[in-house]
Amino acid sequence: MNFIVVLASFPQLLEGLLITLALSAASIVGSTLLGLLAATLRVSRVPIGSQIARIYVEVFRGSPLLITLLFVYFGSAYAGYHMNIFAAAVVGISVYQGAYIAEIIRAGIESVPPGQWEASKILGLSNSQTFVSVVLPQTGKIVLPPLIGQYIALIKDTSIAFVIGLAELVRQGQAIIDRVGQPLAVYVTIAALYFIICYPLSRWVRGLEKRSQPA
Amino acid sequence: MSNLEPIIKLAGVTKSFGAVQVLKGIDLHVSEGEVLVVIGASGSGKSTVLRIMSGLETADSGQVWVNSVPLHDPRRAREIRGHVGMVFQQFNLFPHLTALGNVTLALLKVRKLSAEVAKKKALAVLDRVGLAEKAGNYPSQLSGGQQQRVAIARALAVEPTIMFFDEATSALDPELVGEVTSVMRSLADEGMTMVVVTHEMSFARKTADRVVFMDQGIIAEQGPPEQLFVRPQNDRTKQFLQRVLEV
Repeated sequence: MNFIVVLASFPQLLEGLLITLALSAASIVGSTLLGLLAATLRVSRVPIGSQIARIYVEVFRGSPLLITLLFVYFGSAYAGYHMNIFAAAVVGISVYQGAYIAEIIRAGIESVPPGQWEASKILGLSNSQTFVSVVLPQTGKIVLPPLIGQYIALIKDTSIAFVIGLAELVRQGQAIIDRVGQPLAVYVTIAALYFIICYPLSRWVRGLEKRSQPA
Repeated sequence: MSNLEPIIKLAGVTKSFGAVQVLKGIDLHVSEGEVLVVIGASGSGKSTVLRIMSGLETADSGQVWVNSVPLHDPRRAREIRGHVGMVFQQFNLFPHLTALGNVTLALLKVRKLSAEVAKKKALAVLDRVGLAEKAGNYPSQLSGGQQQRVAIARALAVEPTIMFFDEATSALDPELVGEVTSVMRSLADEGMTMVVVTHEMSFARKTADRVVFMDQGIIAEQGPPEQLFVRPQNDRTKQFLQRVLEV
């Protein structure tokens, strides 16, 4: 493995890294908003909304991210709407990860004891006031560890945007290999870069889990 | 007891959970300012009666009037919200809010008071339960007795016409029961209409205007405490009192 060659191409890897980070950040925001919306609909007593949310979760948990991504990018082009590659990647990953995040948030909402709803009801708070002021704030602490775990999976999954031609980290690495060879050194470097992003997050999760354990 | 129209009226109330009929026809009146204590074995239906009066459960049949609201009418039942107070066995405080935050929440969101007015009001009720100096503490930083007193303050802050207590002292260590019952007693002395489900027979004896003994989904016996505790008429009441007073 010749890391000197890789070092010479490092600016190109950094370019890819920036795209990966931007894609991750945008998809984390998108998937969290979608997940929150789907979870809220799912626990709401609006029958149609709850059904739509359930179908959404089942469909995207039951199909590969690769298919979702190809469907969004090529499907939109086929429908006559040419989507920017980066936007397509954000949409595909957000929709896919949103399904998982919806289930994490739903589990958090349902773990809030019914007594909290009852106390709020007697006090005169409406269901939506209870949800926003009483239930959601308590959900945060419960869902944060699994949520960050899901974000780690999301960050690594951004590499699949490679297949629709987004110049993210893996694709830039592949371009370097095509030009100068040294695949092993390039792959090890890429893996190390992902690790540097994800490791602090997984440390954070472990810290949160430790803190939430009863003393 | 006043001669006014009763503030709570239950007529022929039944309730089943699945195949189990928990209430088999309850008729009960409570007058304004009355302290009614409901006793009975677990499973007798006493908590269910309380939950129906407070609007947390809906009766299967019969009529329930509370504070002139027909709770048996699903279109109007929600009018009761915010007009009665309830204190739960498990406190049900909001763990993410301080004692002050617990008390002000409904004042801000339901009564739409300004932050300043709500805080002033909340501190006054916290003071009433002897916890003004704990206003900044979270529930997890308070003892069980203190938490329950905050829960009472939270309920009182919205100025309810009736207070319901659902085994409010059952989850407390024995040495913490007194501080909660003494707050309840002072409320009774101030003329608050109260319906109290409890296992604290001494509280029932000293504070109740009337004691209702429930057994297997019906009201088996009721009367003033001196009558019910000293000369119970019903055999089931005798058995129950023997069991609980022996302990």
